Amino acid sequence: MAVVTATAEPGSLLSLHGVSLAFSGVRALRDVSLDVTEGSLAAVIGPNGAGKTSLFNCISGVYQPQQGTLRFAGHDLRSLRPHRIAASGVARMFQNLALFDQLTVLENLLLGCHHLYGSRWWDDLLWRRRARSQEVSHRRRAEQVIDFLDLESYRRKPVGALPYGVLKRVELGRALCMQPKLLLLDEPAAGLNQEETEDMARYLLDIKEEMGVTQIIIEHDLGLVMDLADSVLVLDFGREIASGSPATIQNDPAVIEAYLGRPAQQEPA
Amino acid sequence: MSAALQSTLPGQLAALAASRPDDVALREKRLGIWQEISWKNYLAEVAATGRMLRELGVGPGDHVAILSDNRPEWLFADLASQGIGARAVGIYQTNPPADVAYILQHSGSRVLFCEDQEQVDKVLELGAETPELQHIVVFDPRGTRSYDEARLRPWSEFIARGRELLATEPGWFLDEIERRRPAEPTMVVYTSGTTGQPKGALLSSKNVVATARSMAPVLGLQQGDSLLSYLPLCHVAEKIFSLFLPLSTGAVVHFGESIATVREDLRDVSPTIFLGVPRIWEKVHASVLIKMQDSSWLKRTLFDFFSRKGRAAAERRLAGKARLTDRVTRLLGDLLVFRALQEQLGLRRCHLPCSGAAPISRDLLLWFHGIGVPIVEGYGMTECGGVSHITPPGRAHLGSVGPVIEGTQCRIADDGEILLRGDNVFAGYLHNPEATEDTVRDGWLHTGDIGEEDANGYLRITGRKKEIIITAGGKNLSPEKIENALKTSPYLREAVAIGDGRKFISALVQVDYETTASWADRRDLPYTSYADLTGKDEVRALVGEEIGRANELLAHVEQVREFTILGKELHQDDGELTATQKVRRQAVMQIYGELIEAMYGGKAWSN
Repeated sequence: MAVVTATAEPGSLLSLHGVSLAFSGVRALRDVSLDVTEGSLAAVIGPNGAGKTSLFNCISGVYQPQQGTLRFAGHDLRSLRPHRIAASGVARMFQNLALFDQLTVLENLLLGCHHLYGSRWWDDLLWRRRARSQEVSHRRRAEQVIDFLDLESYRRKPVGALPYGVLKRVELGRALCMQPKLLLLDEPAAGLNQEETEDMARYLLDIKEEMGVTQIIIEHDLGLVMDLADSVLVLDFGREIASGSPATIQNDPAVIEAYLGRPAQQEPA
Repeated sequence: MSAALQSTLPGQLAALAASRPDDVALREKRLGIWQEISWKNYLAEVAATGRMLRELGVGPGDHVAILSDNRPEWLFADLASQGIGARAVGIYQTNPPADVAYILQHSGSRVLFCEDQEQVDKVLELGAETPELQHIVVFDPRGTRSYDEARLRPWSEFIARGRELLATEPGWFLDEIERRRPAEPTMVVYTSGTTGQPKGALLSSKNVVATARSMAPVLGLQQGDSLLSYLPLCHVAEKIFSLFLPLSTGAVVHFGESIATVREDLRDVSPTIFLGVPRIWEKVHASVLIKMQDSSWLKRTLFDFFSRKGRAAAERRLAGKARLTDRVTRLLGDLLVFRALQEQLGLRRCHLPCSGAAPISRDLLLWFHGIGVPIVEGYGMTECGGVSHITPPGRAHLGSVGPVIEGTQCRIADDGEILLRGDNVFAGYLHNPEATEDTVRDGWLHTGDIGEEDANGYLRITGRKKEIIITAGGKNLSPEKIENALKTSPYLREAVAIGDGRKFISALVQVDYETTASWADRRDLPYTSYADLTGKDEVRALVGEEIGRANELLAHVEQVREFTILGKELHQDDGELTATQKVRRQAVMQIYGELIEAMYGGKAWSN
């Protein structure tokens, strides 16, 4: 594993510089840079096809960008395979839910702890102390997440039978069980009703306050973004068009144009 | 042993902590595991809480409010307040901010124990409306840490400081308890107030301790009993089952994970004593029927057969005409159906299933007796410590709430009102001498309920004095009886019977969304929302059928001739329900006045 000494800005957990990604002719990301301070909540917004999810895929190692540097907690992410990146503390909540329908909520959450298992197969087979204590500590972690996300009444229910709003919470829970340093949240509030969205916002704030986990959120609900985020990056056609605090972004003409379009030059007669 | 130790609740706790220090007193499910608290630790937590309350300036006669779900800390805060001579005031978590403000102001509470951020937000929103509130202790401080509010402090910090203070003077709390007098008010229980603002009933240890002690042998309670605390602890009924009885007998009280997990917690604990309000029993009944409709043919047939047989046998047994064959069918039914069913419900070990707080329908009781859950009914009100009548197990007369408890006298006034006298009659309403004088006259508590006693001294409640319907034909009817008959249907959740000064009885009904939705699903009837579902002709037909069935249980004049299905569910926030989820009849009749007039304007639905 290549460990690079951090050259990023002090206090920043993740720093991307000049990241470009292209699929043959399509340039998904062009020279994108992002610095996320430890313990903060950053948002990535932009119209559909702007490259937001591609950016997440670069961070979690699913895509290899052609150019740029990606540093996370002292690691050079480009040199790491996706499972190594996950092990280094990057967890992800998927937009289209990555859960196992036939397994219960608890089992899905325990699967989130899977990469943390360090026992050998013979320890497991003989159910030795190492395996046992590990099992107990993972179960405790899963239970803490159940408590945190108020999932007690669904613990033993198969995921396939649960309503969508609860599934989103389980998906978030699965990511939390990985004990991440950085949490990538791809549209956590998509498809939720007003009340569920408020709950989700509450959870994200609590994750920040109580667990100190750094978060990057992709979200179309701009009200939510403006309320939660410490900093915002706006992408359009793979290009960074603005970045900064929510207040500055809101008044940025380039952002307004990307979302609302250019005002018509001339009224047709 | 001093008098205080025997006759006050904190004293009873101290006595149990001395005689059975390491036995389990409380269990709480945390992180999926039932954690135990011994009697010794129970007392230690209560003492530390009491010490810290005193540190915050709470003294005898002061009020301490608790706005939380049931959890061990609720009991710690309550008993600690009582131990130092203050009075604990419970507030329903479901109360909207204005109601919370009313109780905080009216009681003048100086300290408030709060469940979590949601409740804290509610209280902080009140701002200057609660000038006397000086300290807010939060059980679960998640999300509130960044609040800029000097009055806030987390429970962990509060109790740690209390323990620290107590370490230098370990006997402090016991000395405080010794100073308590059984007759001094130690709890304020705000009554639900179906009419007007809630009133704070002052209860003392004297009101409840002797009652609990005399009830225990009658009900066959023992040390090894276990209970699940899940109804709101602000209500006197849950106080009886979480505080008064366990402190008399040493039973173990369990606290589940949340209100959403009551079914699972019940199955885990399988309590030997279980209190349900009629609404809970109706829900259990409905859930069993719905489950059975979705189960295999064999199971369904067996269940139908044995529950019918069981019901008939229960009816004979209660009438004292049990047959030998009844025993055989009961044994068989138990083996094939009921044992598994009771285990599923978590009622297998339950030797004392109780119903109280509101009238329950006779039909529902028979059904439960039939499946081997012999519910006993009790009667009481906040103003008499929660209980004045209870049916001894095995000696039930359906439709009656049992004989009066030891130490209490019961008399029926000329107008039929039930009057009570005894140690359990409360000390009066807080800051409301007029209401007190109105309620307790010549030492007799005027309950406001109408009832009659039979030759065995069993009391039968026929209705509320204020709510009796007098039809245009001059017949006196109890709306509650009619409503309970309707609510026996698994598809009907609430009903309001109308008919005062009218030619016939009509009803506003609210369907049970869960069961009716499941009914619609099984018929492939599409719907989008509650309002849409209840507007369907098919649902109206279903409700009509159900009301027709309920009418068979009623006398001719009581039968419901016209009904309207409400397009929304009744809600506390809209002023339609009390905190205990009882219908505010007057409010509902006012809000839905037009619907009611429409029912009497048109032609009757049936005759």
